[in-house]
Amino acid sequence: MPRITIDGTVYEFEGRPKLLQFCLDHGIELPHFCYHPALSIPANCRQCLVEVGMPVIDRETGKPKRDENGQPVIQFMPKLQTSCSLDMADGMVVKTHRTSEKVARAQRDNLEFLLINHPLDCPICDQAGKCPLQIQAYKYGPEGSRFEFLKVHKPKRVKLGPRVMLDAERCINCTRCVRFTDEISKSHQLTIIERGVKNYPITPPGVEFDDPYSMNVIDLCPVGALTSIDARFKARPWEMSATPSITITNAKGSNCYYWVRDNLIVEITARANAAVNGYWLPDEDRLDYHRFNENRPDGPEVRRDGRLVRVSWEEAYDRAVELLAGIDGRRILFLGSAYATVEDNYLLKRLAEALGADTPVYIPHIEPGHGDGWLRTDDRTPNAQGCQRLGILPVDEALVRSRLESGEIQAIYVLEDDPVGSGLFTAEALADIPVILHYYNTTNQTLVVADVALPAATVVETVGTYVNCDGHAQRVRPAKAIRTVNRVLMQEIGKSRLDQHGTPYDRWYNEKHQVDCKPSWEILPEVAERLGHPLRYKGPKYIMQEIAETIPAFAGATYEAMGLEGVRLAEIGAEV
Amino acid sequence: MATNGAQSKAGDWRNYKRVLLPPIRDLHRLEVYEAHGGYQTLREVLTSDRWDPKSVIEEVKKSKLRGRGGAGFPTGLKWSFMPPVDDRPRFLCCNGDESEPGTFKDRQLMEFNPHQIFEGILIACYAMSVRTCYLYVRGEFARWIEHMERELEKLYAKGYVGQNIMGTDFSADIVIHKGAGAYICGEESSLMESVEGKRAYPRIKPPFPAQRGLWGYPTTINNVETLANVPLILHNGGEWFASIGAPNHPGPVLYGISGHVNRPGVYEYPTGMLITDLIYEVAGGIRGGKKLKAVIPGGSSTPPLRADMIDGVTMDAESLRETGSMMGTAGLLVLDEDTDMVSWLRRVAHFYAHESCGQCTPCREGTGWLENILTRIDEGEGRLRDLDLLLDLCDQMEGRTVCALADAAAWPVRYTILRFREEFEARCKPSLIPTGIDLTPTS
Repeated sequence: MPRITIDGTVYEFEGRPKLLQFCLDHGIELPHFCYHPALSIPANCRQCLVEVGMPVIDRETGKPKRDENGQPVIQFMPKLQTSCSLDMADGMVVKTHRTSEKVARAQRDNLEFLLINHPLDCPICDQAGKCPLQIQAYKYGPEGSRFEFLKVHKPKRVKLGPRVMLDAERCINCTRCVRFTDEISKSHQLTIIERGVKNYPITPPGVEFDDPYSMNVIDLCPVGALTSIDARFKARPWEMSATPSITITNAKGSNCYYWVRDNLIVEITARANAAVNGYWLPDEDRLDYHRFNENRPDGPEVRRDGRLVRVSWEEAYDRAVELLAGIDGRRILFLGSAYATVEDNYLLKRLAEALGADTPVYIPHIEPGHGDGWLRTDDRTPNAQGCQRLGILPVDEALVRSRLESGEIQAIYVLEDDPVGSGLFTAEALADIPVILHYYNTTNQTLVVADVALPAATVVETVGTYVNCDGHAQRVRPAKAIRTVNRVLMQEIGKSRLDQHGTPYDRWYNEKHQVDCKPSWEILPEVAERLGHPLRYKGPKYIMQEIAETIPAFAGATYEAMGLEGVRLAEIGAEV
Repeated sequence: MATNGAQSKAGDWRNYKRVLLPPIRDLHRLEVYEAHGGYQTLREVLTSDRWDPKSVIEEVKKSKLRGRGGAGFPTGLKWSFMPPVDDRPRFLCCNGDESEPGTFKDRQLMEFNPHQIFEGILIACYAMSVRTCYLYVRGEFARWIEHMERELEKLYAKGYVGQNIMGTDFSADIVIHKGAGAYICGEESSLMESVEGKRAYPRIKPPFPAQRGLWGYPTTINNVETLANVPLILHNGGEWFASIGAPNHPGPVLYGISGHVNRPGVYEYPTGMLITDLIYEVAGGIRGGKKLKAVIPGGSSTPPLRADMIDGVTMDAESLRETGSMMGTAGLLVLDEDTDMVSWLRRVAHFYAHESCGQCTPCREGTGWLENILTRIDEGEGRLRDLDLLLDLCDQMEGRTVCALADAAAWPVRYTILRFREEFEARCKPSLIPTGIDLTPTS
């Protein structure tokens, strides 16, 4: 196998990898700005320079020349090479800044150049704290500056499109954004204009940067030149925790980070997962966080004298049981949910089984034409496939309506959905029967007929599993805390923080923004137990373990197997 | 003139007969060009058994023709880099984007002898089995583009360009492509980007154009003057060409002489001319009988030579390299004793700052910074330490970018300061912080 020596350590490699990517894959840090593994390689930032040599081949023997110690004689190239664009070759010897003063000097020089016209307004820059230029300037850059002139001035607040703002002075012209629209989203909405030290990226005349994936350039931008119009100036990176999770805007389940401050979701950014979304996230996924912060309920309610009244959780459970107890299980319609986790749907199914009811069904939320064959799907729910794999199928609307009309359905138990809002039933049709509702937001239109309203934890507050449209099972983790104490959530929230040891007493702990809700996997066992059917688990992890052991369509899908990037169920032997 | 005993390598140049720009009236018209034997060489190459693509390349190699665009790369060798013919398209680009200060020789060819360029292009196309050539001309040459297009139409009408040229099974098209005013488009890979309709950012090499050029296909890029030499080589033989001028850098060359001379202009002579002959005899000496201060031998990017350095120096790659400069495009800038070198260098730095494409960090930021400092020195606000900073910045730019523009911007700064340091020091205020650096001027 071909070998390469980097800073004196020998590595074996296969194929013809590029040196920079190989180094990054092997934990050898090299400073760089313009290189991105998903984009073409322009080698324009000139930051990743290294010294490269090849063994000298003896012309007569065709073998490498050796010195008196038997070591191969290495001829170093006169110019430093950009490691991002360098094809590795057998016998190559590389010196990075760790072993070569020449390389360290070149990197320092380059950072000096990058900083001379950079505004250095880090104290007010949204990127500061997670800025590759800032980090690498501190790490590899020079002390101070020898530049004693006015910096070049460029447009400061250019609205490139509805979602992205440009500060051209901060731009270091790495062209990642331009390459993204050329090569990935193919909208070709950005280009570099002007020349030399004046150039910066902008849209062509008359073009608006309204690419549905436009906000990816914010993630790509190695400085604070491109910022989110929605998120800018709202929070500094160090005031937030970032929780790896998935978005629930559609059935793709793109991987993301939820950024939380004061127990509110402030921003959603992309998280790389080659099996699902690559490095990208649609704009609508990024902006879809208000549902976690706004119109959230405040504790459970029960209907008394025609009005929903705030009660304790115990009272709410008791009321639900009171309503359900007198009804034949077969007369209760259990509605599962493609918004809820696999675990929650599974518990609902278990409860329905215990009461002798039909298997739950779920309400599909399909928006034809919304999908784009990439990271957006027509299905606007995150877990339809998870439901189907549990045997929870799309509702036959005509059938359930006629059963309701004929009086065959005498109660409805709704898991995290909105049958009135979705048009399955009218409010009038449900007015006379008990409706027990797990819900996320006070905008849920079924609330007007709900007899017991149980606030459920959303994807950012719970632990659970979602299965995307390609059969990829992924875990979610709590990004923010709920009001009530739940040991499982407490443990998970600690683990999922960027700093790995966050506690509810961190500075972003904010009681006001804690929603008094509970994960459905905590509510359902309470109800089931009161109905005489114990449904006790130590936590969602153990629910999923049981699912993985008992349902062939989930065979092997344990939390350990899913890890941070999830698993393709078909690949671990689960039935499709 | 003292010549240190060195001889001109140009032989009997006073009786030299011009072959690139022969003294024939209206030669730019097809009728006149043909009446003087034009396109006979092409006909010979296409129809005679003596010539096949391989032997044409061999003949060009034998001629030792070196590119006239500045880098001086052997042309025949470059042609032989083209991969074997397969079913992919192949391209030739003829580089007429002449834009460096002090260089203005290609435009003479395009104005007075465009058909020799076309004939050279067609022979080169034949040699490399290329079907399409893009003649990339600097957009400011609007008048010559217009008349070249007119002449090209005549060629199409006569069957000299296009399908089945001269009734043979060889076909080739020539497309004249107008630049839009950027110096960087003269760099071969950004020229290709420009032809492709993109922003002219130079490409990283490898891959070289012969492997992946225009639209990813094998491509060769040659300068206008280089290709204009090709019909001469094929007509008179490679040995004839190799015998003209300096042995290692032979052939006729268009010297563009500008600056403080009595008769500036483009002069055709063999390579290897003594710089002193060019200044004092060809160009009629320094204006106003003044003394010489400096010569920039090959366009503004080549290091300037002090007057005391040019004795015995001839215009060919070897001699100029030994002296500490380069042949470049043989565009000589002559500066007399009254020239303010600081001001001159400031103007050159301004050009490169203005023309840097801005792709690579060291060039984008470095060229602007160089201009900033030189402006300050020129305005009398500079400090002595600025000179060392300038040299430092040259170190930080050279060899660290995708193309050679950073080098081209740094060389004049570095060598003008090294060779005229007293003049710069005289303009600078003392540094606030004393430096311990040896300030003795060196060449």
